Amino acid sequence: MATAEAAVSGPPRASISERIVGFITRTPVHLALLLIGVVWLVPTVGLAVTSFRPRSDIQASSWWSSLLDFHFTVNNYQQVLDRAGMSDAFFNSLIITIPSTLLPLTLAALAAYAFSWISFPFRDTIFLIIVALMIVPIQMALVPLLRLFRDWGIADWYGGIWLAHTAFGLPLGIFLLRNFFITLPRDLIEAARVDGASNLRIFLKVVLPLSVPALASYGIFQFLWVWNDLLMALIFVQNSDLWPMTIKVNQMQSQFGGEWHLLSSGAFLLMIVPLAVFFALQRYFVQGLLAGSVK
Amino acid sequence: MSSTAVPGPVGRPRGRRLPSIFRRSGWQGLAFILPAVAFLAVLVVYPLIYTIVLSFGDTNAKLNIVRWVGFDNYKTLLTEDKEFLDLDVFPPTGALINNLKWVVLYTSVSLALGLLIAVLAVRVRYESFIKAIVFIPMAISATAVAIIWRFVYEPDPDLGALNAFITTFGADPISWIGRADTVNYALIFAYVWASTGFAMVVLSAALKGISEEVIEAARTDGASEWDIFRRIQLPLLSLPIAVVTVWLLINVIKLFDIIYVLTGGGPGNASEVIAFTMYDQTFQNGEAGYGAAVAVVMLLLIIPIMVFNIRRFRSERVTA
Amino acid sequence: MRRKMLLPIAALAALALALGACGGDGGGGTEEGDGQVTIFSLWGGSEQEAFKKVLTQFTEETGIKTKYESARDFLPVIRTRLAADNPPEVAILPRPGFVDELARDDALISLEDLGLDPDKINENYNDTWIDLATFEDTTYGVVAKANSKSTVWYKPKSFRENGFEIPKTWAELEQIVKDYKAKGKTPWAVGAQGRDNSWTLTDWFEQIYVRTAGGENYDKLFSGELAFDDPTVKDALNEMLKMVNDQYVSGGIDTALGISFIDGIGRVFSKKPDAEMYMLGGFVGGIALGQVNKDLKVGEDIDFFPFPEIKPENGNPLVGSGDVAAAMVNNEDVAKLIEFLSTPQAGKTWVSTGAIVSPNKGVTDADYPNELVSKEAEQVKNAESFRFDGSDLLPGTLGQEFGTLLQKIVKTPDKMDSLLAAYQAGAEKAFANQ
Repeated sequence: MATAEAAVSGPPRASISERIVGFITRTPVHLALLLIGVVWLVPTVGLAVTSFRPRSDIQASSWWSSLLDFHFTVNNYQQVLDRAGMSDAFFNSLIITIPSTLLPLTLAALAAYAFSWISFPFRDTIFLIIVALMIVPIQMALVPLLRLFRDWGIADWYGGIWLAHTAFGLPLGIFLLRNFFITLPRDLIEAARVDGASNLRIFLKVVLPLSVPALASYGIFQFLWVWNDLLMALIFVQNSDLWPMTIKVNQMQSQFGGEWHLLSSGAFLLMIVPLAVFFALQRYFVQGLLAGSVK
Repeated sequence: MSSTAVPGPVGRPRGRRLPSIFRRSGWQGLAFILPAVAFLAVLVVYPLIYTIVLSFGDTNAKLNIVRWVGFDNYKTLLTEDKEFLDLDVFPPTGALINNLKWVVLYTSVSLALGLLIAVLAVRVRYESFIKAIVFIPMAISATAVAIIWRFVYEPDPDLGALNAFITTFGADPISWIGRADTVNYALIFAYVWASTGFAMVVLSAALKGISEEVIEAARTDGASEWDIFRRIQLPLLSLPIAVVTVWLLINVIKLFDIIYVLTGGGPGNASEVIAFTMYDQTFQNGEAGYGAAVAVVMLLLIIPIMVFNIRRFRSERVTA
Repeated sequence: MRRKMLLPIAALAALALALGACGGDGGGGTEEGDGQVTIFSLWGGSEQEAFKKVLTQFTEETGIKTKYESARDFLPVIRTRLAADNPPEVAILPRPGFVDELARDDALISLEDLGLDPDKINENYNDTWIDLATFEDTTYGVVAKANSKSTVWYKPKSFRENGFEIPKTWAELEQIVKDYKAKGKTPWAVGAQGRDNSWTLTDWFEQIYVRTAGGENYDKLFSGELAFDDPTVKDALNEMLKMVNDQYVSGGIDTALGISFIDGIGRVFSKKPDAEMYMLGGFVGGIALGQVNKDLKVGEDIDFFPFPEIKPENGNPLVGSGDVAAAMVNNEDVAKLIEFLSTPQAGKTWVSTGAIVSPNKGVTDADYPNELVSKEAEQVKNAESFRFDGSDLLPGTLGQEFGTLLQKIVKTPDKMDSLLAAYQAGAEKAFANQ
């Protein structure tokens, strides 16, 4: 009977005593993981809970004691969106992030293709130089770029930050995508060449469709990087109307001191998009991170 | 042989064929990489050179260079700037020393925790859940991390979870980010919280890559779990550990957002780090030449890491 | 070949732009405006609301729209925008030291260059105020608002209940502090965190120093003629440490250095207070009533008394501050706004919000809406002598560093001597470079 069962339902289930022993020896593991889970969840949960509490409640009692007698309100979010300008800041973040993702994605893909499947002199050396540029800290470029944007007359709108993010996102993108393109089947590319397809056509019709996972990984990585950026926005987005959420939330800190009802909801609005992206596209994000572990 | 033997571009008829000279792959390669290279040359390489040049000068309020000072900026930075590096006291203090604290503590704790969690999580059924929880902070911005932890570190025990925790044991609440002796550890821990997910994911993937059979064989040979860990798993993890360490080290040099948002370098200058010094000197004090020197020092600190990484990449290419 | 070309091209580009960088900037006269003026300052919260009322009035009268922007890290924003040739059209500078620095680098437009008549504008103000907006005999702006800083905020109800009288001398104040402590209450709250709030400590120091060392020494100290490690400075610091210490400050020094000044005000005047008195300028009233606790009753729950005298021979001088509105772009709309801000009208509108005291001669006592501000205005007008906030007068970054210095001193008083000596070394350099 045991073997028949096993054939149907996999390996035999451990006997009760085996399971108890197993559990006891694993209890320290469970305990440790419980502690870890608590440390990792409590900070975020605490702020989340606070963002839904009315201001007077926050001042009167702690968030954990309120869990049993919770007054739920979305007032804080309303306030922060309407009166503190977070809804504008949200759109600003979008306007900054989307071009700063699509542009480097395009340019990096084009370049990565050439580095993978076109042969030209000094190809590998140039590639190496580009990879080396990955570690140049943005601090090296803040002042010169400011002056460049001044000379080009684009300092008071988004032009500057789009260009800056694109440029600094290129090395990683080229590195990631080239490493992926190279793994594509040589025969496929050769066959297309024999058919007389131009490089552009091979790129568009053969390489790109097969590279969606890599493109997605880099795209998501770059998207989150730009969405979460603070320093470059501080320097290059000069008009306060155009400030993205990272700057806005930071300003709220100094303007509203201990007004945690506003700060918590502001911070959460900042986190919504990255969290959504993370949960929906977790695999791509992790892949991008793993592959690009040098940015 | 293919039946479509017509040479030249297939598809959208363009009415004009590229002259044969342009069909040589060399030129095509150039065309593909030109936009990216142009971006990089103008917006990364040129600023790099410009900043190096700038570090030898002094600027006015409009950030124009008004005079050349040779190596003075560097000299002042490394020998006279007590906020950057103060070797007159023991233990030494200053922004550079803070970066050193980060290098030692942040790197080792993130690695150790990441490894620990990876090793523990694989033994339970809710592995994906726990790994997701630990990883989530990687997705949010350093600004959000700073606000979350500002809340945790609040001196008022009714607001700050950490002080609530220690007051239940009878201790007095501590102003974690208000005291010069605790602020750096508070910051480091907050950032460890945010970054351990990366170490965990890399090491977890690497751990799973170790063949089960080898481990089983060792177990039947009577090896203890600890032996297995030390003699089999750890050595095989040396490359992923190196990868994670490089990532963490580069993070340390570039550290800015969390300091800026959570403490502004304070109290006093206690939590400043080199990237913050650059921002402070250039934009608060208006000393763009001096700030440029700081940026160059940042670059010089990163270069050895880069060299190591390129060597690793090259060796990977060779073995691939 | 391509690789070898990259470097020389980049180098040439660098050279070209570096050469272009050393050029000057054009002058040009007053151009026409575009119907909107951007104004930049560091006010947020209730101070911002008050100022916006003035701007609304300006738009009603002239039809010129205004756009108000603010940021607490005021100076970096100004610098980055200057570097990008994108400055705000009008900037409200919180320190006269900034006026000097920016004027020296041609970043400000003088009243004359704007097409305004400086003498006419300056008729509205006393010399003290005009000086603040002047650099090398040219006036660059108007003092938009003023505040007395010689105010100590307290709760009248609490004083009554404990039988305290308003202290006229430092010794009397010390007694009140000891009595509060004996009754189990915390006498003071202080909010002096980081860069943005360290000035609260400089305010403490200045009030004490001018009363212990006298007005002349005060002037010498903040103009570089007296050293910062002078015994008079140490005496004043020791007096300050008698109040600002772990015993008497809410949460101790660590908390004081960990919270903002608004949170500090909250510790005394919010609905969950845990301290009794707060030493800071006249604007506390506006912030407490407007932001921290709207239910406060003036005269019951909140009021201020003048900072008491310490040494009778030095009397009771007023230390105060003012913000200068200056133009950074030259056009007609900007000129009109600067002119408007100098009128008694603008002053009246502004003071009616209860947020400020106006230095404008044309504003009378009757214009003030509540006791707190009119009391403050009285104090400003009737001051025996007036001194401007010292740290705001210091050149370059010295003012900011003074705040940092005091943060370190209250935390480690035994290191006072070495800290002062180090600061003095930096001060000598800064004054020499002026």
